[in-house]
Amino acid sequence: MTTLTADHSTDRYHRQMLLPFVGEAGQAKLLKSTALVVGCGALGTVIVNMLARAGVGRLVVVDRDFVELSNLQRQVLFDEDDVNGLVPKAEAARAKIARINSQVQVIPLIQDLNHTNIEQVALEGDYGPVDIIIDGVDNFETRFIVNDTAVKHGIPYIYGGAVGTVGMCYAVLPHTPAGDKPWEIAGRATPCLRCIFEQAPPPGMNPTCDTAGVLGPVVSIVSNYESIEAMKVLLGRYESVNPNLVSVDCWENQLRQLKVGRAYDVGECTCCKKRNFEWLDGVYSSSTTTLCGRDAVQLTLAPGESKLNLVQIADRLKAHGQVKLNPFMLQATVSDNAEAFELTLFKDGRAIVKGTKQPTRARAVYAKFIGS
Amino acid sequence: MSITIQIPAALRPQADGQASLQLEGGTVREALGELKSRYPELGGRLFKSDNEVNRFINFYLNDEDIRFLDSLETKLKSGDELAIVPAIAGG
Repeated sequence: MTTLTADHSTDRYHRQMLLPFVGEAGQAKLLKSTALVVGCGALGTVIVNMLARAGVGRLVVVDRDFVELSNLQRQVLFDEDDVNGLVPKAEAARAKIARINSQVQVIPLIQDLNHTNIEQVALEGDYGPVDIIIDGVDNFETRFIVNDTAVKHGIPYIYGGAVGTVGMCYAVLPHTPAGDKPWEIAGRATPCLRCIFEQAPPPGMNPTCDTAGVLGPVVSIVSNYESIEAMKVLLGRYESVNPNLVSVDCWENQLRQLKVGRAYDVGECTCCKKRNFEWLDGVYSSSTTTLCGRDAVQLTLAPGESKLNLVQIADRLKAHGQVKLNPFMLQATVSDNAEAFELTLFKDGRAIVKGTKQPTRARAVYAKFIGS
Repeated sequence: MSITIQIPAALRPQADGQASLQLEGGTVREALGELKSRYPELGGRLFKSDNEVNRFINFYLNDEDIRFLDSLETKLKSGDELAIVPAIAGG
């Protein structure tokens, strides 16, 4: 008796290989590709799900957060077990994809992606340089760091953003000084994200999932749009990549194709025209971030500081309140001046302080219970 | 010139909840000035100063970025559609 296995790629990918622009050669390209998915929340879970099922060979998934109950409404790779287990999102995605497609590899990175480490992640991982970067991010600081990296090193980058009932998607096929990337040879290079949005919206000026809410289908529409653009790029079908900024309002039934193509030729972009990578150089970097969708602040210690001993800290915090510990992180409920905070610590020294949106308050709570 | 302005979801609370409205104006600057006088709070979100709009908000006239037309001085004709498009950060 033979055991049926699910590792025959021609069976698994048959329906997409029927498409003339995929075929056997295209499928082989996907299987050889490495994609970096930055952020594994509402957008990121859909992207990882789709690309893993499509057979993109390696998915490097970076996320700094863990799964919470309020994620399940839209973050399609997670379930209640992940919530109960306080499982980091990148790890939860790896475990789920391993059950969906054992042919592809998900490399989970439970960390903050910032200007100090993004080039290492994008270019110097064991998995080699990534072929594309796909946006599952919830803030513009990280997006501009990703955009700088993409332009500096000539890596395609797919932007997506969603909030409420609206969203956007845009494919950056960066211009390079040598002009020798395949999309440039095909005449399909596009302006970068900073050509389109010169500045990040200041905190408080834009609605977040926190203030405006978000509908699951909206993030699915945007992230699936990102996924198909990513597939076109990985298949080398640059002529089919949408050169427009797609803007959708699912409640008002509007879908716009905003023409941004002249931004590179006419504009004076700091990033892709002048090749001045301010975000990647840390000109605007911050060590605290107010997290989208949550009454919480993330604190990041200066790189180079030693890893935290979570077991030791857990012992100490038990006197102050309830403490949960798993191999990735520690979570403790503490109270300070009659206010309750939930403190989550990661091994790399990062902390998420829930119960405030004020960076100074979060720093004070961290200093009091963990140390400064 | 009567044109239609599309208000993004994020700014509709500052425009009595309207998704779009009709305005008069010969240029983009005049139309936005009219919008600002009708809805000062909305105007405050769009403009950095009297003369300058915030750089994280874009304006598309019939789906073309006005920065690559004549910016705020871009001329309008009847029936034009001006969309206000802020960067979307969530995800």
